[in-house]
Parts: sequence; structure tokens; C-alpha cells
Amino acid sequence: MVYKRPRAASPSTAQKRPRQDIRLGTELPPDEDGDDGSFVPVWKQTVTDDRGRRRLHGAFTGGFSAGYFNTVGSKEGWAPKAFVSSRSNRNKDQASAATQRPEDFMDEEDLAQASESRHLETAQSVAPIGSSGGVGRPTDGFFGLFVTEEETMGVKVVHQMGWRRDQGVGRKVRRHASLNDGIAASKDTSEHFFAPKDAPSMSSAREEIRRKGLGYLSEARLSKAGNTDPDSGPSLAFTFLNSSKKSQTSKKPTPKKSSFGVGVLNDTGSDDEDPYELGPKITFNKTLGKEKKAKKPSKFVKPAVADGLVYVPRKATKAGTSLSRMSQDEKATLKGFTLEMNTNDLMIKPKFPPPLIPEGWKTSRNTSSEERVQDFQSVTDAARSSTLDAKARASLLGETPLPSRSIFDFIPKEARDRLVTMSGNTALPQGLGQSAPEGYEASEQSTAKSLWSFVPRLDKHVAAGALAKGATGWMPYGEDSNKRARYVGFLELKSGSRQELPERGPGMSVSEWAKELEEFAHAAQVFKPASGIMASRFISSKATQSTAGVDSTGEDILRQPTAKVEDPTEQAAKLGMYGPMTRSSLPFHPSRLLCKRFNVKPPPDNPNTADIHPVDFDIKPKTEEPISKSDMDRLMREVASRGPATQRPAWMSYEPEAPVPAAVTKHAIVDIETNEALSKERASEDVFKAIFGDDDDEE
Amino acid sequence: MPAFPTTPIAKLTGHGGIVHALAYSSGSASYILTGCSDRTIRLYNHTKATTTSVAPPAGSQAYAPGLVSKYSAHGYEVLSIDVSTDNEKFVSTGGDKSVFYWDVQTAQTIRRWSGHNARVNRGVFGGEGDSVIVSGSFDGTVKIWDIKQNNYKPIMTLDEARDSVTDIAIFDAEILVSSVDGRVRSYDLRMGMCSVDVIGYPVTSLSVSKKGTEALVSSLDSTVRLMDRGNGQLLKAYRDESFVNTDLRVRSTLGLNDSVVLSGSDDGMVFAWDLLEGECKHKFRHSDMREVKGKGAATGERKGKKDVVSAVAFCGARREWASAGGDGNVIVWGMDG
Repeated sequence: MVYKRPRAASPSTAQKRPRQDIRLGTELPPDEDGDDGSFVPVWKQTVTDDRGRRRLHGAFTGGFSAGYFNTVGSKEGWAPKAFVSSRSNRNKDQASAATQRPEDFMDEEDLAQASESRHLETAQSVAPIGSSGGVGRPTDGFFGLFVTEEETMGVKVVHQMGWRRDQGVGRKVRRHASLNDGIAASKDTSEHFFAPKDAPSMSSAREEIRRKGLGYLSEARLSKAGNTDPDSGPSLAFTFLNSSKKSQTSKKPTPKKSSFGVGVLNDTGSDDEDPYELGPKITFNKTLGKEKKAKKPSKFVKPAVADGLVYVPRKATKAGTSLSRMSQDEKATLKGFTLEMNTNDLMIKPKFPPPLIPEGWKTSRNTSSEERVQDFQSVTDAARSSTLDAKARASLLGETPLPSRSIFDFIPKEARDRLVTMSGNTALPQGLGQSAPEGYEASEQSTAKSLWSFVPRLDKHVAAGALAKGATGWMPYGEDSNKRARYVGFLELKSGSRQELPERGPGMSVSEWAKELEEFAHAAQVFKPASGIMASRFISSKATQSTAGVDSTGEDILRQPTAKVEDPTEQAAKLGMYGPMTRSSLPFHPSRLLCKRFNVKPPPDNPNTADIHPVDFDIKPKTEEPISKSDMDRLMREVASRGPATQRPAWMSYEPEAPVPAAVTKHAIVDIETNEALSKERASEDVFKAIFGDDDDEE
Repeated sequence: MPAFPTTPIAKLTGHGGIVHALAYSSGSASYILTGCSDRTIRLYNHTKATTTSVAPPAGSQAYAPGLVSKYSAHGYEVLSIDVSTDNEKFVSTGGDKSVFYWDVQTAQTIRRWSGHNARVNRGVFGGEGDSVIVSGSFDGTVKIWDIKQNNYKPIMTLDEARDSVTDIAIFDAEILVSSVDGRVRSYDLRMGMCSVDVIGYPVTSLSVSKKGTEALVSSLDSTVRLMDRGNGQLLKAYRDESFVNTDLRVRSTLGLNDSVVLSGSDDGMVFAWDLLEGECKHKFRHSDMREVKGKGAATGERKGKKDVVSAVAFCGARREWASAGGDGNVIVWGMDG
């Protein structure tokens, strides 16, 4: 790779101020190969061989531009690979042959990137402590190297104050040097000041907060498993680790990891630990060579201390609390006291039995509670034992006595019988069915109110529609005029034109009446006039029974085609008397928008001018009164435009002409002079033929 | 009565069924729009067609002589066409219960209003600047649609008619509605009054004179009547012994500056009456493209069921009129030479 040549000072600045240059020393002779260090663009640079010639490669292998600007073969250029015949010298046999690596094609940036992406990490197999892997065997003295401790600020402070690791805290003690594990205390040697021994500090009895799920049995299960399986337990136990577990944890720096549960690396192997306590017991430095300071000799590898490596079985440590212990201040425990190592016991609050009351003790305070307890009675007992009845109690309380009647005085006999049959108690007094006593009878209003509750709900427009339909055409209950009258009354009430309660038929109980009202409401729903398309599809049937009660006069079953009552205007039109007789006018309310579109002032008295939204004109106005003013107008218009048909009941009126499709149907020719339907008593033969086509008896 | 155009000058072919609707364009009336039962509206320049023009064979893409454009959006037969005064839009109605509002240039529908419950017999422009469309339907209602607003509901619905609405005419601020129930209702928006004139027979066609004081009413008693709109009196009744109109919706119109009454018939004849005298001046046989002279000569010549003249239209600018027949041809009649 060719780099840009280093450039000296800018030649332009040198040329600009030649006089101010101060020259010191002698000038160098001009460069032989012409490389004066001035800037030459890459494309102008030429590569020459040691004789100053430009290198010409084969015409087919590059000519003057082989490689990067003809650098092939130069001392900083590429060397062409010599051809190696695979016959004589096989390429794969050459072990030392320079094989191409990715690094050969990388520039510095790529290399930096590649090196950046490389991280040094411990392999999975490295599991030094407490694991059963071969690396972490207890014999391996190096395992301590993997354990480091980040020091807390407190540790640093006490370091500053002269404390050393594995020393106790406190004043220095004057004693003999104990070299051999404290057993052989040589008396002859002089006493020295020693730092107090590192004694396990008692952690304060912290309430253990157990954050475990319901029914979680981890500790019991783990301890059981740990006891049964010897391999899973720690093969190496440190006494100080076990004895001063609490202190260790308290001394430990705040755990860096916050992972949940126990991993392989941070499993200290002890089953007593809460595996879900946050943070590992030991943190590992996973990077090598990043130590901030020279590694201190770890306590794990301190050979000649009392807390050395001692293999202690777990059971022994558990039972071994009776080992000679020193109290915290290096003094022997007082006689009669044992050093309690299990701090957990402190957490258990002792429960003391209540003090025994000596026999025969009697309190000096004499209360009257005894007597009170004696004459306590429950309310029920008192009520039971009471001789007072309701009346007596009422008189005691000073109530004015009710007229001395029981409920049976008021309920009718049938109700009493019903009570008897329902309760099975035949000893009930006779129902007298009296009316309520003076001053206590239900007011008329309240009875009416209770009766109003029986009147079913019915929409006002439905009622009005049903009423209107009844006015123009068919109405239910044609066979019972009284019922029909009641029905009409109900509809009038519901449409708002009446206010009083619907009348009750003679001899009709309230329940029957209520039932009838329900029926009326249903009937109104059913017989309300059809609307929209349905209305245009159907024409109301022409007649019901002509009159109620005259049905059995022996008329022939075939209904007489009633005479079509000619509209006088049509008659006049057919007679050619066009003019006032055939003309009629009716009010018409164009919508405001329509008038606006026609650029016409809306006619006065136009109810629709008040409306603003044009869409609403399509919707029939909902009326408040049974027949509002607009509806009245409408009716008037209908009457005027459609002839008097709507005024009369349907059975009297002429039927509006069946819709005649404009271009298809035949026009019915009506003979004005004679009406066959009227002149004939009997239906024509054609009708019978049409109905009973195959019957021969008529012919 | 001035000279009446009696010579056929063009034959507009290419229809695939009965031509129900016929309308001259507004203004110079140089184009003719036809609405056919083959669900298509056709725009003709009838000066490009001749009396001997032959329709292209069925299935070919070639346009018939004089045919300018085709408008196809209807799904049913087209029953009426009305052209706006600026000739840019037209309205068509038909069997698909909708009112179609067309752009003439793009041959696309601008708006479609649906709200009628049956086929729409008639749709006409109304209001100032053709701002509304009034449509009458077989369901007996007249609905007024607003062109200026984007409302899909009608401005107003007139449902006084007791039967199918057959024709609508608009004069100034009055809407005239004819119905099969034998009545002509005239809604005066200014006065807020609706005057009902009983004709007595189903009314099939309705047109208003230019003065607006008379209305021409065709009814199914083979009579065309000229009614005084002021008082509802009969001004003139136009009949002929050979004039038959008892079954079909046949259009009638006023022409030649309201001096002639022109009507089609059920049997393929076209009749022209003098307005004032009321006598039948001319009879034309549509299928033969000739005038029939003499009384009684036209009777009994009806050829088949399709030989009807369902629509006639008078040109507003020239002495010219057109008749549309059940045979699928539109004949344009003009003066000699």
C-alpha cells in the first residue's frame, strides 16, 4: 500500500515571503532520485526501479500500469506470485506457503474494528470454585486468582487507618506471638502488640423477608438433596466462609450482578443460602489484565494463618459451634456462657408463658360484674318471658291504640282460604273483608296511582297511528262494541287526547282489566298502519262485516261488489264539465330550501320555514297532540286531493283505484248509466265458473 | 296554422328496443338524445344522418349514422331524459329506481339519487339555473333532489298522488304533476297552494305552454286536452277517430310556437292538431315515414305490437320535430328541401 508522501512546508508560503527567511546551515544537495518531498499527485507519481527506469511489465500483464500505479515488483509494491507447477511442487504440500488471510485484505480501520470486536471471555469449562470440573479442584492453588474483591469505601477507609485484611478491628493487643495455630504459645518470647484477631461480627438480626411464591419449598428440598448427594455439596469448605457467612455477606461489596437465581459461577454450594437472594456471593472478574492495582494476596491463599484451608465436613461445622471461640473482643467467654453462633436463634422471639396466678389469690378490687352477669338475659329470652303483648307494649310506650282489628278482618274470605291452603294452618281467623278503618283507607289518588301502574306503555305515535287507522278503516274487536270502545279509549289515552284512566268493563277485576290493557297495547302494535313501502304495497281490505250483529241474515257468502261511489269531481270530469267542479285547492308547504332553489319567497304560514335542516322534511313530524296542526292540514289536503275516501269508514267508501301501470293495463270502462253490481242480486255466472270451474251443477 | 314540417329528413337508427324517451338539446337544438329500452342513452347529430341510414349490424362496434355518443349506466330501460338549459348536463330516469345526473362531455354520471321505491317515470330539471331535479315515480311520489348540495336525500317529497306519477312539468315556480289517478296537481311554490284538476282518466303526458297559462294533458281516453291552468277549465279537446291512446304512455307536445299539438299513439301514428281549431291537420305513419292523407286511411294498418309512437319532441329552434317508435327508430321530420 502506498501512502501519501509527507509534505514539507507549503511551497506557496515559501515563495511568498522569501526575504524574511532566515537560513541556517547548508542546503542539502538535491535529491538524486528527484524526490524532493514536494507534493505530487498520485496519478503523476511514477514508480521506477533502482536504475530509474519505469518498469514495463508484459503487455498483457499490465504494461506500465501493473498493480497499483505500476507498483508491481517495486520494493513497496506487490510481488507477483510466481507460478508453481503443481506437478513438481504441489501447492497444498507447502505448509509454509503464504495462505491468504482476511487480515491481508484489511486496512487499519478494518483491523481496529476486528480487534475491537474480539473480547476475551472465560470459556465455559472454567469453573474454578465449588464446581466438580477438573479445573476447580481444591488442589489447584490458582483458583484464588479468579476471585477478586472490589473494595468498598468503608474498607478503603479502614485501610487508611491501618487496618489490614484478616485483622480484627479494635485496639492492638499485647500478646505473645502465636506461630503454630495458637496452640504453642511460647512463653519465652516477648510480648508484642498484635492486631486483634479477626472475629466474626454478629450481624444484626435482620428480619428475613421471604419473597417466595405460595407453596415454595426450595430450602427444604435443597437441603435434603444436598445432604443426600455428597458431590453436590462443596468439596472445599472454608471455615471462615462457613462460620462467618453473615459477616462475609455484610462485608461484601454490593453485588454487581442482579441476576435472579443461582448460576454455576456464583453458586457457593451452600444450601442454607437463600438461592433467590439477589446477587451472587462471589463476583468474578471475567477479564484478565484489567486489574486496577497490583493484586493483593487473596485471603484464599494465605497459608499460615489460623483460618487456613481446613477441610471441614459440613456436619462438623454445623455441630462445631462448641469449638473454642473467642468473643468479639478477643476475650474468652465468661464462665457459664456459650458463644452463640447461630444468630438466627436471636431472631426468634421467645414466648413466655403467662404468670401463674397463685392459688387462693384474690384481687382486692371487688367489682359488681358478677351480679350483672347473673341477671343478664338475652332479648329473645326476655321477649319469651315477657307477659306483655303488642297492645300492652304500645300502651307502655304511649301509642294511641289502633282499632283492634287483625289483618284477617280486612282480607276477603277467599284470600284467607288461600292463606290456609298455602300455610296449611287451618286455625286462622275468618276473613271478614271489612274496609279499612276510618282515617286509614287508601286515598283515591293512591288507588288510582296503583291502577295507573297497570296501564301498559305504548308509544304515542303508535297509538295515534292505530287510532287513525281505526278512524279510516278497520279496527279490531268488531264483534264487541264495548270492548272496541274501551280499545279506542285506551288508544286515545295513549295518544294523549284523554287523561282519565281507561274504563273498566262491568264485572271485570283489576287483573282482568290489566290483562285487557296489555292486549290492547299489543293490538295497537299489530294494527298500527303500515308505513313506507309496505303501505304502498297494500290496500286496506274493503269491508269487514258490514254491521256487527246482522251477520246471520242468510246473505249469500259471496260478498257483493259494492257500488263504486263515483267521486263527483270525477263524474264531472267524465262529463266534460271541467272547471270549478273539477278543481280544488289545498295548502301545500314547500320546504324553505326548495323555495330558495326556485328563487321564490316562501309562502307565508309555512311551518316548514322554521325548519332549517332540509333532510328533516322527508321525515314526518312527530306530533305532540293526537292530531297536530300539521297533521290536520295534511288530512285536509288528503281529503281534498284524494276525494272523500279517507273520511268515511272503509266499508262505506269507495275503494281507491288499484294502481294502474301506465302503459300496460287496460283501462276499465265504467258504464255510468248502469251498474251491474247493483242491479244483480246474485253474483254472475262467471264468478262461479271462475271459482268452481269444474263443477257442472250450474250448467 | 303555419306550414307544418311533413317531410322526413333523417332516420336515427341503432336502437336495440323501444325508444321511450326523446329530447332535443337546449338552445340551438342541434342534437337529439334518445332513451331506449336497451338501457342506453344515445346522442345523435341528426344532420349527419339521412332518411335511408341503416343501422350497423348487431354486434359491430360501428356507430350508427349520426350517433355521437352513447351513455350507458342504466341497468333497466330508460324512461325519460331532460337536458339542462346550458346543454352540459342531462338527467335520465328509468326502471332502476334511480335518477341519473349525467355530464354530457365525459359520458359519466355525476350523481345518482335513489330513494324511489319503483321505476321513475320522469325526471326534469327545475329551479333557477337548473338547481333541482324533480322526479316522479311509479310509487306515486314526486321527489325533489338538490343538485347543489351533496345530500343523498330529497329536499322534498310530494306524495299526494294516489297512483303512479307519469309526467312532470315545471313552469317558473310551479311543479305540475300528472298521475294515473286522473289528476293533474299543480304545486305553486309561491303561494304554497296545490291546485288539483281532475281529468277523469289516467294522465300520461303533460306539458305547459310557453305562456304558462295552459297545460296540454294526454289521457287514456284517446284524448289530448288543453286545460286552462288558471281555472281548470277545458280549452280544447283534441281527438280523432283514428287516434288511439288507451293503453300506453304516449307523449304529446306543443310545437311551432304553441300553435300545434302533436301526439303519438298506440298504433304507430303521429297526429298533429291545430291548437286553436282543434282539428287534426296531419297524420303520419311513423314506420312508413310518410304522411297519411285522408280520413280513415290509417285505420287497421297497425303492424304488430311494437308499432307505437311512444314519444314525440318538437325542436325549439327550427321547424322540425322527431318521433320515436317502438321499432327502434327515431324519425326526424322537417320542411321540404
